[in-house]
Amino acid sequence: MTGQTVPMADEEFVMGFRKQNVWTKWIALAFFFGKVGSGMFILAVLLNTPLIALAGLAIENVGKGGSLIIHLGRPERFWRAVSRPQSSWISRTVWVMGVFTLIALLYLAMPQGSPAWQFFKVLALIGGVAVAITDGFIMNDSPAIPLWNTPMLPFLFLLYSLLGGTSVFFFLVYGGWVGVTPLIDLETLETVLIIINLMGVAIYLASLANATATARESLRLLLRGQYSTMFYGFVVAIGFILTLALTLFLGASGGALVVGLITLADLIGHFFIFYLLLLVGVYAPVTGKLTI
Amino acid sequence: MARFGMVVDLKRCVGCNACTLACKAENGTPPGIFFTKVLEQLAGQYPIVKKKFIPVLCNHCLNAPCVRVCPSGATRKRDDGMVLVDYDQCIGCKACAVACPYKNRELLPQGKLRQGHFKGHLTPFEKVKYSKFQEGVVIKCTFCCDRVDQGLEPSCVNTCPAEARVFGDLHNPESKVSRLIRQRGGFQPMSEANTDPSVYYLE
Amino acid sequence: MTQAAFSPADKDRWIKSACKMCLHGCGIRVNVRDGVILKIEGDPDNPNNMGKLCPKGHSGIMRHYDPNRIKTPIRRTNPNRGPGVDPGWEPVSWDEALDIVGRRLKKIRREDPRKLLVAINDFQRIHLWGWGAAFGTGHYFTTTGQFCGAAYHPINGIIDGAFASVNDYEHCNYWIQIGGGDGFSSHLHVAGSIKRMADARVDRGMKLVAVDPRMAAYCAKADEWIPILPGTDRAFILGMVHVMLHELNRYDAQFIKKHTNGPYLIAPGGRLFRCRETQKPMVWDGGDNMAKAYDDPTVGDFALEGRFVVDGAEVTPAFQLIKDALKDHTPERMSGICDVPAGTMRRIALEFVEAARIGSTVMIEGKQYPYRPAAINFYRGAIGHCQGTHDHSAIKLMNMLVGNIDVPGGHLGVGLDHRLLLIEPGPDGMIKPQPHILHPPAPFSCPPQTLQMMEFFPIGLDPAHLVAHNILHPEEWGYDFKPEAALIYHANPLKNINGYHKVLEVFRMLEFIVAIDILPNESTEWADIILPDHSYLESYMMTLCEPPVITGHTLRQPVVEPMYDTRDAHDILTDISHGCGCLDEFNGLLNFTMFLKPEYYLEPGRKHTAQECLDRMAKSIYGPEMGLDWFRQNSNAVRRQKPGEMYMPWDGMRISLYHEYFLQVAGELEEKFRSAGRQWDTSSYHPIPVWNDDHPLHRIPAEYDLYAINFKAEAVINHHENTTIPWINELVSNIPIHKGVLINTRTAREKGISTGDRISIESPFGKVEGLARVIEEIHPRVIGISNAIARWTMHPVERKMNVNFNRLLPASLEFTDLVSGHQETAVKVRISKI
Repeated sequence: MTGQTVPMADEEFVMGFRKQNVWTKWIALAFFFGKVGSGMFILAVLLNTPLIALAGLAIENVGKGGSLIIHLGRPERFWRAVSRPQSSWISRTVWVMGVFTLIALLYLAMPQGSPAWQFFKVLALIGGVAVAITDGFIMNDSPAIPLWNTPMLPFLFLLYSLLGGTSVFFFLVYGGWVGVTPLIDLETLETVLIIINLMGVAIYLASLANATATARESLRLLLRGQYSTMFYGFVVAIGFILTLALTLFLGASGGALVVGLITLADLIGHFFIFYLLLLVGVYAPVTGKLTI
Repeated sequence: MARFGMVVDLKRCVGCNACTLACKAENGTPPGIFFTKVLEQLAGQYPIVKKKFIPVLCNHCLNAPCVRVCPSGATRKRDDGMVLVDYDQCIGCKACAVACPYKNRELLPQGKLRQGHFKGHLTPFEKVKYSKFQEGVVIKCTFCCDRVDQGLEPSCVNTCPAEARVFGDLHNPESKVSRLIRQRGGFQPMSEANTDPSVYYLE
Repeated sequence: MTQAAFSPADKDRWIKSACKMCLHGCGIRVNVRDGVILKIEGDPDNPNNMGKLCPKGHSGIMRHYDPNRIKTPIRRTNPNRGPGVDPGWEPVSWDEALDIVGRRLKKIRREDPRKLLVAINDFQRIHLWGWGAAFGTGHYFTTTGQFCGAAYHPINGIIDGAFASVNDYEHCNYWIQIGGGDGFSSHLHVAGSIKRMADARVDRGMKLVAVDPRMAAYCAKADEWIPILPGTDRAFILGMVHVMLHELNRYDAQFIKKHTNGPYLIAPGGRLFRCRETQKPMVWDGGDNMAKAYDDPTVGDFALEGRFVVDGAEVTPAFQLIKDALKDHTPERMSGICDVPAGTMRRIALEFVEAARIGSTVMIEGKQYPYRPAAINFYRGAIGHCQGTHDHSAIKLMNMLVGNIDVPGGHLGVGLDHRLLLIEPGPDGMIKPQPHILHPPAPFSCPPQTLQMMEFFPIGLDPAHLVAHNILHPEEWGYDFKPEAALIYHANPLKNINGYHKVLEVFRMLEFIVAIDILPNESTEWADIILPDHSYLESYMMTLCEPPVITGHTLRQPVVEPMYDTRDAHDILTDISHGCGCLDEFNGLLNFTMFLKPEYYLEPGRKHTAQECLDRMAKSIYGPEMGLDWFRQNSNAVRRQKPGEMYMPWDGMRISLYHEYFLQVAGELEEKFRSAGRQWDTSSYHPIPVWNDDHPLHRIPAEYDLYAINFKAEAVINHHENTTIPWINELVSNIPIHKGVLINTRTAREKGISTGDRISIESPFGKVEGLARVIEEIHPRVIGISNAIARWTMHPVERKMNVNFNRLLPASLEFTDLVSGHQETAVKVRISKI
């Protein structure tokens, strides 16, 4: 038989593509806080703003940790999640988060400029990057969902982490909340990162166009199916076009309101891209046979 | 050591769903939860149409992704190949449900056991059966391990009017399952996922 | 009454019993732990279902434990009645309830018992169906006969004394199935039949050809699915018969000569040509070239073809007449009617005659039988039409032409009970026609006494769809009474009888309704009093395991104590009979319907418990040692049929190829109508099945451009009633064909309809609304409506989709098969998006 379209089975007793539906908003929030928190921390370490680093750490632990615990069916048993780091990426992320938090606290506790501080600064930066990308491995570790099963994902997590952290900083600095030594031009960084992220997402999605039928079904759901409105609205229009337009044409000179708007728009796009990637996670038909 | 497995003869299956309800009765699964069910697959255009009935259940994979991703060790594999969830250890992270390429696992949501099939009224049957479950953990087909441990066949195999389901030891070359796989060329579902399922299909 | 005593020591037990989730009654074993039913399985020791059980059987637990069960007699407090109107039930004591019912029915019985409508559908307790006769009323206000087929049972009985018929699972190699679920989803003992069919298909490589407008489960499993228009199966069959008789010239001449009336000479006018002296039917001896009596031992060759002149009369062998009648039924002409390509008909006909291996024999247990491993099997889809008798006869004709009736591999008659009881010699060397297996015929009367006009259907089966019309229009046939009450026992006339609006009007007219059931339904939600029955897991019954392959009874027995203040429906009817003064008549009826031997006759004036009656029934059938106690010990007396019971039990008698019997019945009926001064169309009593272009279904105006069919919900639903069981409800909610009105993709595209759209479906007789479900596997000119989307009962589990197919159907004499009484079960409709 040819020319047959494989249906989306949902809960019906039909052989077809099926959407994953157990990792949704709380996992998306955990990823969101995880990336923004680690991004803030990394930027804060680089820009030497310990308070913001602490805030990043707090967002990481409370935001991501809290979302994950709420996500659990049995939150009171959360501590059991550490049991199997040898094979489970969830266990590993919990360990990575714990170790990172410990290192970060040590770094913040050390006298600034001391050799130990220098040492822990490097370790904390590595930890921050590790925290950002391990979440990507959680998704990447699901071979059943071809959309997620690509090394592009951990990379995207890192990119979004940096962008997220930068956006928050952008707001804090140009909003006049925080003063930093202008090691780097945050406005340029923000613009560059938005463009890099845009390219990252585009390359990721483009790579799926020639992937398996199942991955293409994910892509179809995202670009043409039931989630396309959310994708084009929140991710593309708000997350990319609006932020780029605002940074390019108004930027920091637009004042606190514009800067706040840019950051908000970026964070909205940020949340929704990963939320939608979760929602459009599609499995192949059970037997693996698209037709009979 | 035995490795328990099942062979599903798609030629014999008539899609009656006796297995689906024999499973509901044996395991007393809460509303909306099926440990096994019969999917239909359609191909072609009128008048050249083909339709197949394909029973699905946990494949008790040898290389089970659900075991690998479980952060708490609640999902384990027995020596005889059965993949089971220890409800006392499961934290409900649903990583296994996401990792299963067959989507044969699901979370038993809070409130489901109190609600029951008659919305707020638990039948005496449900009261007994639900006492085995816990809310907030992931549940799935157990290959009827309690029955198998007593030397019985899983409930779905026991009832199948078409005898489309055969249960036995995949390690014993002379068992009926092994012979059927050899003689009829049994295939594993979604073999490209490299999970090495213990459920084989015959076409 | 006494209940089974359960020792508390038995904490975890398996009790054998019989299923009642459909009419067939597979053997089950039930696990009860600490008084709670935990599992129902097929009984592995019952040769009927061999440990298998269908989904309905498993779901019996949730029906038993349904909290909506009627827990005590209840009476309505809300005087307003109507669909969806809460009756405001209040509990009432048994004594009071029975007193109210008894007094009311007693009054009716004294005035005119015909004022009571009776709807008894407890399909396993066939012996209670005739309760109305004991009361004095013959109305049949429910449509059981139409579920399986008024055109089904009587015709089977006429052909070979059978009640049903099915192909030989164990020897058939080429199985054509039309409009029926045998071996896949429904009909005779589905669990065992699925196993037997799977063995035949997979282990023996039997070829299966499936003919159905919709790709039902059996079509999906078939080697070939042939989509067809509803109500045209006869055209498809007769096209193939034409090929066999006029193109291939291949048929089993020996079988027809020896075992049928094919060689009997027919006089002008269609009746048998008889010897003037002996009145014996004549045949033409081709050897001696002369007419002889059919039983003349000197007949060398029974001529099947030719035209002869005997004693000045032009006579023709019946076979020749059949051949002549079908000369113009070419595949090309038939194809235009049924939409199956002529080439397909030619190919299937050829495959069929070749697979039949005409002339071959087989030895079974030391006896030689003809071996014809090709047969056509069918059920309601093929014959549930207003010319159903012809539809059925056509299929039987094609089977008979290859000599496969009741021979190994062929098409076997199946008894309701032990079939040999009904194989009796009739006149003229023929087997005696047995059209009345469910109940005796109603003697002719005009005006009729029964509202379903049974008096006008001497070989038919209760056309209950005529009841409502006749109540509303009594003047048409001169009814001189008006029903004022109804007794509804495990039936649902409002849901099940077509012509809903007429039935609804009757319900509004009725002053008093008493119901017996375990759950309220669309009809009994109108009742004044409901008397609660035990569930089947709390009661006794000698459950019949009608063949194929096996025969015997299985005991249904309580596996737990009754949960509520309920009583066995049999005992309730006994109490009602006592209360309204017809106990003696009821006992007398049971003597007959339970096959009691004289020594076990029920005593007049005494109330016998259900258990006592069943004990006597068991002893009457199986002997004094095999009463209820024996069955409690042994569970069942089911056994394989012996070859002599299955194969040619009528050997030595002839079966009817040419239905001269119809002409005889028609002649008598015409005479009776003549003397009553009324007209009745007897043209349907035709001895040869031919295509009739004047078919009411196909004559429905072309603006109704689609055909509509409904279908039993595969193996999941029995009649209508299982949809309130949560497990079944979950199943059908997940299976696409039970989620909406099935429309072919192409048709849906033309009409701008997509899955999930709300559509209206309108026939000339009624209108329903429902959700569309666009599928590939249905004829583009047909829409399909599952039984699972039909209901609107207040039961909280029901989906209430309310696409009741019956509302679309006609309910009039015009759309009734005037031979069998079968209603038309397909209709033409137009659909549109709302």
